[in-house]
Amino acid sequence: MNKLIMICSAALFAVGLSGCAINQVAPKDMSAFTTAAPASILVVPIVNHSLDVDAPNYVLTTLPIPLAEKGYYVYPVNTVKVVLEQEGLYEGEAVQQQPTEKLAAMFGADAVLYVKINQWDAKYAVITTSVTVDFDYRMVSKNGVEIFNENKRVVYSPESNLDGSPLLVLIDAVVNSALARAKPNYMPLTREANAAVFNEGPNALPDGPYRRTRIN
Amino acid sequence: MRSTLVLTLLCTTMLCACTIPYSTHHSIYQWADYDSLLYASFKDPAQSKDMLSALELHISKMEESKQKIAPGLYAELGTLYLQAGNIDKALTMYSNERTAWPESAVLMTTMMNTIKQGQLKSMVK
Repeated sequence: MNKLIMICSAALFAVGLSGCAINQVAPKDMSAFTTAAPASILVVPIVNHSLDVDAPNYVLTTLPIPLAEKGYYVYPVNTVKVVLEQEGLYEGEAVQQQPTEKLAAMFGADAVLYVKINQWDAKYAVITTSVTVDFDYRMVSKNGVEIFNENKRVVYSPESNLDGSPLLVLIDAVVNSALARAKPNYMPLTREANAAVFNEGPNALPDGPYRRTRIN
Repeated sequence: MRSTLVLTLLCTTMLCACTIPYSTHHSIYQWADYDSLLYASFKDPAQSKDMLSALELHISKMEESKQKIAPGLYAELGTLYLQAGNIDKALTMYSNERTAWPESAVLMTTMMNTIKQGQLKSMVK
């Protein structure tokens, strides 16, 4: 019995050793970012290549918090949207076609973040609803140099909070999916995707000046 | 038996180690559901009233306890005031944002000048 536990533990140990390594990606060259050393980021309205008209709302509203928490000044996205509309720029597509230098100068920003939704597909099943999303994140310095480029693909399904009997879980899942269908909330999905891009892995965004000064 | 325990503990530690980098990233600001409030007002412009009062309350609480207001919140409240036709309060908020965050100076000065020149009337809903 003891031997069996030992073997199992050893196997788990091996999994533990390799587990962290599986997700490792070769770090990208961040020298352009480090050289530009932006303190402020202008998040412009999103380009939407999916058929979901609500998707850009989820993406745009969940971008400022993780970027500011990373230590950057983030321009108020709604105020920015209103100003751009005054300039006749209503759609993300039209905004993102403007030269970066012009956008950066208009707001006084060090860098501009362009986000594009490539895919946002919801698949409805009896028990759970799953959504597949694919986003491109591209940051360009005020001088027009690309300093950050990342793609994120996430498959998301609302999870059950109950870990009791299988029947309860099943009921909860059914209720969850019924609720999700009636009033879907994808804030956790876009929050997760943005956090993964900015905070996780070897290609995470370097800390901005406000995180550095606050922590030291 | 002891070695089993040690090994199990070690395994647990290793499994945890993979997730630590995501959870230790503690926050430096308070946001008062800014993202959800903004999403709701994008979906239904009538909800921007709720966002206005929520931000008003949040900012006054933060000011009372002398805490730093998160980037952009003064300005967003300013824009909500502007759209509600409350020009004076809008100007105050834009000025507060500029004082709190020097990076916002270009945008905030533009907003304030444009309001004073009466060119942003079309923004008042």
